Amino acid sequence: MTADSVANANPLLDIRNLTLSFQTGSGLVRVLNGVDLSVGPGERVGIVGESGSGKSVTAQAVLGLVPAAEITGEINFAGVNLLKARPEQLRAIRGKEIGYIFQDPLSALDPVRTVGDQIAETLRIRGVGKAEAMRRAIDMLGRVGVRNPQQRARDYPHQFSGGMRQRVMIAMALVAEPRLLIADEPTTALDVRVQAQVLDLLLELAEERHLAVLFITHDLAILSGFTERVVVMYAGRVMEQCVTDELFYGSIHPYTMGLLASLPRIDGDIPQRLHTIGGQPPSPARPPSGCPFHPRCRYAQPTCAEQVPTLTIPPNGTHPSACHLSQWLAEQPGVLR
Amino acid sequence: MSDALLEVEGLTKEFPLRGGLFRRRKTLLAVDDVSFTVAPGEAFGLVGESGSGKSTTARCVIRLTEPTRGRIRFAGQDLLSLRGSRLRNMRRGIQMVFQDPYSSLNPRMRVEDIIAEGMIIHGMYRDAAKRRARVQELLQMVGLRPDHLTRRPANFSGGERQRIGIARALALEPRLLICDEPVASLDVSIQAQILNLFKDLQAELGLSIIYIAHDLATVRHLCDRIAVMRDGRIQEIGDREQIYTAPRSEYTRELIDAVPVPDPIRQRERQHRNAELRRARGAVEADPPALARTGKGEK
Repeated sequence: MTADSVANANPLLDIRNLTLSFQTGSGLVRVLNGVDLSVGPGERVGIVGESGSGKSVTAQAVLGLVPAAEITGEINFAGVNLLKARPEQLRAIRGKEIGYIFQDPLSALDPVRTVGDQIAETLRIRGVGKAEAMRRAIDMLGRVGVRNPQQRARDYPHQFSGGMRQRVMIAMALVAEPRLLIADEPTTALDVRVQAQVLDLLLELAEERHLAVLFITHDLAILSGFTERVVVMYAGRVMEQCVTDELFYGSIHPYTMGLLASLPRIDGDIPQRLHTIGGQPPSPARPPSGCPFHPRCRYAQPTCAEQVPTLTIPPNGTHPSACHLSQWLAEQPGVLR
Repeated sequence: MSDALLEVEGLTKEFPLRGGLFRRRKTLLAVDDVSFTVAPGEAFGLVGESGSGKSTTARCVIRLTEPTRGRIRFAGQDLLSLRGSRLRNMRRGIQMVFQDPYSSLNPRMRVEDIIAEGMIIHGMYRDAAKRRARVQELLQMVGLRPDHLTRRPANFSGGERQRIGIARALALEPRLLICDEPVASLDVSIQAQILNLFKDLQAELGLSIIYIAHDLATVRHLCDRIAVMRDGRIQEIGDREQIYTAPRSEYTRELIDAVPVPDPIRQRERQHRNAELRRARGAVEADPPALARTGKGEK
């Protein structure tokens, strides 16, 4: 598989040709279209995309949270295809082997139970005794930076601020010592200083525990200091995939290049006008023909409207990109950079 | 400063908090003695984290919230003493663009009616044909197709809805536009489009803008002068260059340092440096400061 050549030879999570559709009032809507993606043991991978790109639904599919969808392809975790696994096999994996945190910690926590209880529950349902589970929950709460964990374990979610709640969520996700953490926009609802702290904490925990992380975000800048590899999604497809530095310094996909150029910066020159990508992301119900990005692409050629480009490494390139012009773009150093 | 379009002086807003029956009544000081001015044609940024009082400050300026104390002068008139039709007239000159383009537009109304509603209330363009022509002109100005008059908000994307919200604000020919996190809920590729639109409008119409945001990168792109707020107070006010390159307050420095930059080598350096700084000064107490700010004079 060419697209995986930059990834680990022995991935922990290996998604292959994943296609996912929902039956809606106006027919079958395909939200994922042949997604290939892998995460090695202890590797941190980011998925970046705008609304409708399919980044969240990819994560939800791994967690089995889209039961109403029609799914084809494979989601292999440690060699087990989750799409074919038996329910008891799945229960053993999800929550135990794969932890997850979401954007909004308040709605993910039970308001009428103490946080200690909720963290311990992850262990309790796996047969750990009550006292032992609470002891480990308190340890974990301290580990994520909550002061006086013994006491705070008896508090309810509303007694924590947004940043502290997200720490509680991280404690809950990691208490059972999973091998993979799926984090879907975990810092989007947080203030910038708190966001920086939560990212520090996640990075520290991931390195210390050899934890693999699949980090989903709309914010490219967040990934620059956090992930080792980035997958760019658009309209349910993978557009580009490479090691993080290469994405920021040597992207060969017009969509990624456009996204990077449209970011307002915290320093350097201030352009009179920001570079923009015209138009807007397509609706999954009415995808454009050919390359889904072609109606917004400044380099679009007639073939782009007819043929869907495959995710391949161009002859002179170093990483896979789904663009008919990959080869040409790889020959143009600094087109937009 | 007599040439300012807007002068805010000593603005204070207290919200009552529920106290017990025999307990002293407590108040939350949301905005605490805030003063600033906005010049004609200037883009002024109000930056802060959640709970800093930036939105409450803006809501007081447009009198969606009644301030507890302070003075607000707009175009030379005392805004807080105005009542009735004179307040309404003055309000025409200050319009607001909200964060959420989904909840700030009535889903049952057609685009034309959304944009024209204010004109009708203020008795502008009384002739229906002229009014329609004006709505079409406004749609064009914000980059929408003039023939979309009869559509309803559900037919538009988030970015397009935000453009409708901007057209509605511009319909009243304001001199000051207050934008509260106008791009926070938009996709990255759409944010740049809207930021460019604000810059164009500022240049073409000579509009003054108060731009409220937590995102320091968009503020830097748009605003000439910036006030950094924390816990209801202004930490510092300065021009863009000064704020971003030589902030006077340690808090501003912390905010700027915490913004991730889309440049991995530099970002890793920043992260490393910041993590050490944070260890040195201890974790930010992330709990909301609101309750720490209660009570009269016992902050």
